This record gives sequence, structure tokens and C-alpha cells, in this order.
Amino acid sequence: MQSKLSDIELIEQTLAGDQSAYADLVKRHQRFVFTLAMRFAKSREDAEEIAQDCFIKAYKSLDSFQRQAKFSTWLYTIVYTTAMTTLRKKRVATDSIDDEDTFVQIENKPSGYEDNAENKSRTFYVDQAINQLLPDDATIITLFYKGEQSLEEIAQTMGIEANTVKVKLFRARQRLKEKLERNLKHEVNELI
Amino acid sequence: MNSIEEKLWNYIDGTASPEEQHAISLLIEQDEAYRKKYRELLALNAEFTAIELDEPPMAFTYNVMEAIRNEHAQAPLKARVNLNIIKGIGLFFVLTISAILIFALASVNWSASADTATQVKFTMPNMSHYLTSPLMQGFWFLDIVLALYTFDTYLRKKSNTKMDTSVHSGGQN
Repeated sequence: MQSKLSDIELIEQTLAGDQSAYADLVKRHQRFVFTLAMRFAKSREDAEEIAQDCFIKAYKSLDSFQRQAKFSTWLYTIVYTTAMTTLRKKRVATDSIDDEDTFVQIENKPSGYEDNAENKSRTFYVDQAINQLLPDDATIITLFYKGEQSLEEIAQTMGIEANTVKVKLFRARQRLKEKLERNLKHEVNELI
Repeated sequence: MNSIEEKLWNYIDGTASPEEQHAISLLIEQDEAYRKKYRELLALNAEFTAIELDEPPMAFTYNVMEAIRNEHAQAPLKARVNLNIIKGIGLFFVLTISAILIFALASVNWSASADTATQVKFTMPNMSHYLTSPLMQGFWFLDIVLALYTFDTYLRKKSNTKMDTSVHSGGQN
């Protein structure tokens, strides 16, 4: 069962020495942090490592968190920075993270899905298309639709201007739409 | 000039100005092409909103807290010293100094005449037998340990500052 206390209250309890309060914070944000990490990682193990690293970094720097922004925005900034650093380190000698052709992400199937085309819902195809996007595009889409983040907050997380986020979001949605249509077309062709 | 799609996304997201919102809503009502595109984007928006979050492993929270506990256990001794111990040591020194002062004052001959009072004689204890070779070796050993501890603290602080800078620079960007 998750705590009903606000993020700020849990942070205050953590800073007062109550580690179980931080465990509640982790439980509350772990799904989103893990999902963001999955946008960059090549495997669930890598994503788990990134997400764990982020929560440890956040714990260590918790006293420097200024309550002007939401805790989630601050946490996602750590996730974005850590994931980008990890990705760069792992690919430094091979290829570019900005090259869509070289970015091969794992097929991330949510539990409960089967390969049977009849059982695949529209959500499955959207998830599949997101996993084919570049990390930056997938991150913007995830932060905007699932992270309840405004354009300004996404800008803060990614270290860019809000107007740039607006343009990037527009392009990311276009690419996602294209991938979705292509995947559905491919699926229909396979059925025929 | 924004494309129809861009205008409509701004309208759906609510990021357009009130005047633009009004103008786009009129276009959707009156223009068939706008209306068709709007419905298409609205459906896509609903699909994007329905994205599912990934589920981390069952033991994720436990693993994070375990890692934090391990890191906490490795923290330098300085960070784990109880404040009461420091206060206790301080109290011990204050009491000792007070006791010496009280003893010194109590041993003064207050009834002595003015002439003799100016001729107070202090007898210094003979320290030569305390400064034996093993004592000096112990002193030097303690100095080396303290120097190594200080160097270790400096290196840890340097490494922590480096890590904090990378976290904070991410936060400020």
C-alpha cells in the first residue's frame, strides 16, 4: 500500500532520518522512472540499473532539492541526465544516439500480451512504435502524456527551451504516427 | 506560418493563445478539412494518452533501499559520529579544566602578606620521564593516522563534489 503523504512530506521525513519514507517515494515513482530508463536502455537489466542509480543519486542529493519545482521534475532531470550519460558511455565507440537507423531498442512487450495478432490491441502497437523512436522523441512523448509534465517542465528536465520542446513534441508525434501506421500496415499485410 | 496539423495540436494541447483557440475552433466548425484532421488527431491523442508504463521487477524498491543502506554503511566515520559523543568529550574537558582551576585557587594562601603574595612560586612537574622513546613513536604514529584520515576525507569530498555537480548541472539545465 502506498503512502498518502505528499512528496514534500515524504522528503521531509526522509531528511529527518526515516528511510521508509524514501522507500514510499521510490514505490510511488518507480514505474515512471523505469519507463523513462527503458526509453534509453537496450535491456530491462540496463533500465533497472539506470533507474536504481537515479534513485540513489536522488537520495544523496535530497537535501539540495529546492521545493520551487515538483519533486517529479527534479527526479526526471536526474533520470534524463543519468540515462544520457549511460547511453553515451555504452555507445561511444560504436555509433551515434541521434541516428535512428543505428538505434535498435529491445522490443518491450508489456506483460499479458501475446504474439497472436488478434490479441494485440491498439495500445500494443502504440507501445511498439514508441520503442522504435529515438530516445529523445520517446522521452518527450512519455513525459508529456504519462509524466503529467508541462512544456516548461519538460524543458527543465531536458535542458532545452520550452519552444524547442514544443517543436520537438510536434515532430515526435509525427514520427510516432508514421511508425504506427507503418507497423499496422505491415501487420495487415502479414495477415493477408 | 503553422501547418494545419501544428495549429490543431496547439489547440488540443491548449498551448495556443485565447485568440488562436477561438479562431481554430471556428475553423473546425466551418472547414471540413480542419474538422477531419481534428478528429484524426484527437483519436491519436487518446491513443498516446493510453500508453502503458513499464513495470519494474518486484524487488526494485528493496534493491534500491539495500543499495542505499550499503552506501550509508560505507560513509566516513565523521558522518556517523553521534553528536552526544562530541558533547560528552567537550563536557569532560570543561570539567577537567574547572577542577584544575578550583584546585589551583583552593591551594593559594590567601592570608599571606602583600609582599609574599607577589612572590608566587610555581613548581613545574618534571616531564622528561614522560617523553620516552615509545611515547614519541606513539605520537608520530597518531600524527600519520590523522594525516591519512585527513587525506581520505579530502579525496571523498572531492569525489562527492564531482558527483553532486553532475547531478545539479542536470537539474539546472
